[in-house]
Amino acid sequence: MTLAAPGVPTGAPGAYRTEPLATTPGLGGLYARGAASSGTIAARRVLPGETPEPALPAVALRVEDVPTGPEVAARLAAYQRLVGERVGDALPAGFLHVLAFPVATALMVRGDFPLPLLGMVHVANAVTLARPVALGQLLTVDAWAQDLRPHRRGVTVDLVTEVRADGEGAYRGVSTYLARGVSLEATGTDGAEGTAGAHDAQEPAGSRPGFVPPLPTGRWRLPAGTGRAYAAVSGDRNPIHLSALSAKAFGFPRAVAHGMYTAARALAEVGTARGAAYDWTVRFAHPVLLPGTVDVAITPAADGAGDGHEYVGWDAWRARRHFAGTVVPR
Amino acid sequence: MATTPEPASSRSEDAGASGGAAGVPRTRDAVIVGGNRIPFARAGGKYAAASNQDMFTAALEGLVARFGLQGERLGEVVGGAVLKHSRDFNLVRESVLGSSLSPQTPAYDLQQACATGLEAVVSVANKIRLGQVESGIAGGADTVSDAPIAVSEGLRRVLLEASHARSTKARVAAFAKLRPRDLAPLSPSTDEPRTGLSMGEHQAITTARWGITREAQDAVALASHRNLAAAWDSGFFDDLVTPFRGLTRDQNLRPDSSAEKLASLRPVFGARLEGTEPSMTAGNSTPLTDGASAVLLASRAWAAERHLPVLARVVDAETAAVDYVHGHEGLLMAPAHAVPRLLARHGLGLGDFDLYEIHEAFASTVLTTLAAWEDADYCREELGLDGPLGSIDRDRLNVNGSSVAAGHPFAATGGRIVATAAKLAAARAAETGRTARALVSVCAAGGLGVAAIIESAAPGTEA
Repeated sequence: MTLAAPGVPTGAPGAYRTEPLATTPGLGGLYARGAASSGTIAARRVLPGETPEPALPAVALRVEDVPTGPEVAARLAAYQRLVGERVGDALPAGFLHVLAFPVATALMVRGDFPLPLLGMVHVANAVTLARPVALGQLLTVDAWAQDLRPHRRGVTVDLVTEVRADGEGAYRGVSTYLARGVSLEATGTDGAEGTAGAHDAQEPAGSRPGFVPPLPTGRWRLPAGTGRAYAAVSGDRNPIHLSALSAKAFGFPRAVAHGMYTAARALAEVGTARGAAYDWTVRFAHPVLLPGTVDVAITPAADGAGDGHEYVGWDAWRARRHFAGTVVPR
Repeated sequence: MATTPEPASSRSEDAGASGGAAGVPRTRDAVIVGGNRIPFARAGGKYAAASNQDMFTAALEGLVARFGLQGERLGEVVGGAVLKHSRDFNLVRESVLGSSLSPQTPAYDLQQACATGLEAVVSVANKIRLGQVESGIAGGADTVSDAPIAVSEGLRRVLLEASHARSTKARVAAFAKLRPRDLAPLSPSTDEPRTGLSMGEHQAITTARWGITREAQDAVALASHRNLAAAWDSGFFDDLVTPFRGLTRDQNLRPDSSAEKLASLRPVFGARLEGTEPSMTAGNSTPLTDGASAVLLASRAWAAERHLPVLARVVDAETAAVDYVHGHEGLLMAPAHAVPRLLARHGLGLGDFDLYEIHEAFASTVLTTLAAWEDADYCREELGLDGPLGSIDRDRLNVNGSSVAAGHPFAATGGRIVATAAKLAAARAAETGRTARALVSVCAAGGLGVAAIIESAAPGTEA
């Protein structure tokens, strides 16, 4: 995971060319294209001799003049209510992630993106909000992929999104995805198709034995509709989040909460201590099955150094970690 | 309190005034004339069909009858309910209008979770001390049996949108957004809104942090039942309680409770805390209860004109709040902070009291508070003291029982405790011929807590 550099934006790697998109694409169509291209990629990988070493497209997609006017206000308020943010004109970092996510997804469904969209598991996210962003500002969103690297279960890749608000660098998000069963060597025939990230396919952080939950500071009772509610405000209608039935099709026993919903809720619950600009990280472990109860500890960072907070969420009955992260003011 | 010197605040009574200690403005006294409550009923019990207004009106009427206040225009009546329907915006005023008090008696509602009743006492006392009113009643009522049921957030938004709609089409569009799940009603919960943890779970965390044992909690619970039973048997509550709806004693009281019975109960809170032994049971926690209470306060002159008794005076109070949201402090630990601040203002030590009334939200709430005051590091780091605040003589604690035995109808508890403390202090003073002093503390949801000092004040002590 590449941590955000102090300066935002950093811009895409030098060799990348910028490719403009007219508008922010719709996620629904992207998932359909992603499903199709995932099939193509899978087919390519089982045909010996046709699997070139995977390489990332040296392209940064850019959408300019993304409006955040009245058309976004109601959605922002719904997002803020859902994750527990103070309802107002400020766009929390999680909402900027939501706005930038379709651009990153558009990159992942391109024909030259080497990994299948369906089956990729979001394992970590690191965000820097360098300056506050408010309703009414015009946004420019850049998205590119970088740092394709081996992982013991496959490969991971960072999808980087950067947001300028009225021309000023404001936000940088690095979403790390794991594609299981994909190898950087061009063997291509290991056959371990990464279906949709069934729950044993997560980042090892949470399954590491010896996780001892701290004393909780809160308890989240997440109703069955949590995934649908976050889908409505985020636009991320990945079927694993929507219903038990659609989740089962991808190997989950029940619907799964969006990881970014849990991280955004933790960010909101840190409260005003995070300041107007902050760094916000999360690592996802075991998925949160819905309906479900998550115990959380959101506490001032243990080292007592800065005024940051750390958070962790877990299944109290099984002492399994769902996610952990930090929120540190800048 | 034979070994305790006469308190500083009593030495300066030359004008019959409260205060006199450093940092305490001198004012006239606000005295406690008496109190009245209805017996507390278990949820779904004898008061299942009674509303907050029914119960508070009954408590008021009992007080009116006891002190002959029919037709009297009081300075004000202050109280509230924690679980309150929005239509009861004037719960206390409506209760006054339904009582035999003069309809010219003003009233207002106040709400501070479980501290509502004590904060109401403090508010009325302060107005009396400042000369704004001559008399007042403070109290509260709560029912969990008749609690308001709310509609879901989804239905609420649809109803609001439809009511603001200007056309039938717009109203239809609003209702079209309704989903079946929106029709499920919402019952009030005791979960903290900001943490999602119930009060019991919060206290279980505090209990674990302080290492309070099951045995110690059960001992507090047992003492609560035995002390309350003894007080009922001795007739202590004869002039503090009016029967209501067929109930003549607190319904939750179990005079035959035993250590063995308490030890046999299964823990209900803290079962999921890693590496700790759950210890909080239904026996050493306060049950959900219905009830109401009221306390009559006055200036000395007002009481004397009407030949009313004077039990005690409200010396001072302090409200504290703690940072519990991220676990820095326990949810119910605010009284641990309020008391030393209150004591410092009066130059008093924790040992300078004849009586301690520490509200038993849970038996362990009392024990974590006492443990905190005995812990040098905690007192230095959290309370800013030089060392431990100290210990108390446990024989002076909740001597006539407290909320574990009596029950805890949230807003009614403050009035119960203040009336009990005032009567106990008056009796102690009559017995010893010296001023008797009581420390009262009530913890509340939201990390709140109120502490108050009440001192015996026979009519004769007025200059």
